[in-house]
Amino acid sequence: MTGSRPEPHTLAGAYAMDALDGQDRARFERHLERCEECTREVAGLHEATARLAGAAAVRPPDALREQLLAETARTRQLPPVTHGASPAPARRAPVVPGQRPARFRGRLRAPRLAVVLAGVAVLAAVAVWAGGTVVRSAPPTQSPVGHDVATVLTAPDLAVLSGQVRTGGTATVMMSRRDRMLVFAAAGLRALPGSQCYELWLMGPGADRPAGLLPMPKHGMSGPVVAAGLRTGDRLGLTVEPAHGTGRPTSPLILVLAL
Amino acid sequence: MSPPRSHGSLPAPGADLAALLARVARGDHAAFAEVYDRVAAPVFGTVRSVVRDPSLSEEVTQEVFVEVWRAASRFDACKGSPMAWMATIAHRRAVDRVRSEQRAAARDRRSAAPMIAYDDVAETVEDNLDRERVRRCLGALTELQREAVTLAYYGGYTYREVAGLLGVPAGTVNTRMRDGLIRLRDCLGVAR
Repeated sequence: MTGSRPEPHTLAGAYAMDALDGQDRARFERHLERCEECTREVAGLHEATARLAGAAAVRPPDALREQLLAETARTRQLPPVTHGASPAPARRAPVVPGQRPARFRGRLRAPRLAVVLAGVAVLAAVAVWAGGTVVRSAPPTQSPVGHDVATVLTAPDLAVLSGQVRTGGTATVMMSRRDRMLVFAAAGLRALPGSQCYELWLMGPGADRPAGLLPMPKHGMSGPVVAAGLRTGDRLGLTVEPAHGTGRPTSPLILVLAL
Repeated sequence: MSPPRSHGSLPAPGADLAALLARVARGDHAAFAEVYDRVAAPVFGTVRSVVRDPSLSEEVTQEVFVEVWRAASRFDACKGSPMAWMATIAHRRAVDRVRSEQRAAARDRRSAAPMIAYDDVAETVEDNLDRERVRRCLGALTELQREAVTLAYYGGYTYREVAGLLGVPAGTVNTRMRDGLIRLRDCLGVAR
């Protein structure tokens, strides 16, 4: 048994419950750095284990509180991890280099050269984003990215849209109507306090549907986030929402793109 | 103490905690005390179920919260709930402590009984909404899934140890842990 090397994917549950030790844990963590889907799965499982913790609640002795508060009062805190406070346009991936005036905001069906270049730039950024080293606090919970991004980018009906975010930053959407799927990425979004996130919406004739929270930006890039299930007449919206997202937008739209 | 910003709809408790953590990250000690008051019981309970020894449990719990205080700025609300973040820190610490003690001296635990404090009425927190729900959802798992999950989470055992305790291959334990947790997640409705 000791010699067996399980397929990393199957270890997500054991990892989420700290049932991996030593080398097993280290190996899985290396795998996590490359596997977006596992990262997302572990994050979901951690939400479940948090409930296991809740079920085990036991009130600690009162003295512990005093001791702890005395200790933290004299403990220096860690600074936040900075993600290139300025959007770092030099990171070879401004979303649309020098070309994002109004006409670019509309619908662009035929992948013109500039548009393709924009998509490539975003992809380059995505690659940087995916390969960058980041401090892993809690893993992201966005859609699995790599595979779906490839699906959209290789779709024969690939369309690319871009728009300015009202509060700062540029958003790019690559979309395939055939696959009813889009890839969203943004550059230079204003940083938000920890209690808030950017949330994407698909807004159609019916109810608005939440389409994902943007992960924390890395190197000035937010995303990619994949949203599936596009419907005819949908528009894509972006709002700032409380940390866990909401079922419907509760703040003004800071970006709207007709898809 | 200013209340967390309202966004018009009913605030989720998690969002509240996230707002508190954001204040903790800015050095707000009162906010930290409030975070402690709200999550001390699940954290302490989890640690104690793994560590068992009362004074060691207190020590580990204190370490967990010092870590929460220090690293609050690293909490990323877009990647998981505050409770998941803190429970993960707590469980990891408890397990690591137990394993390092274990390396020094054999752990004194003879039975394989999972240590969820179901009957530990005296000290448990009343009005625990999670407990009933979790109990029900654990009950919906297969026996092997349930045993694998409870031994790993509440007992702090590695999957190889769980395999030994249950007398099944380690690979089987892995898949049962994963399947069990996924079912638990779906049953508890915590999936995104």
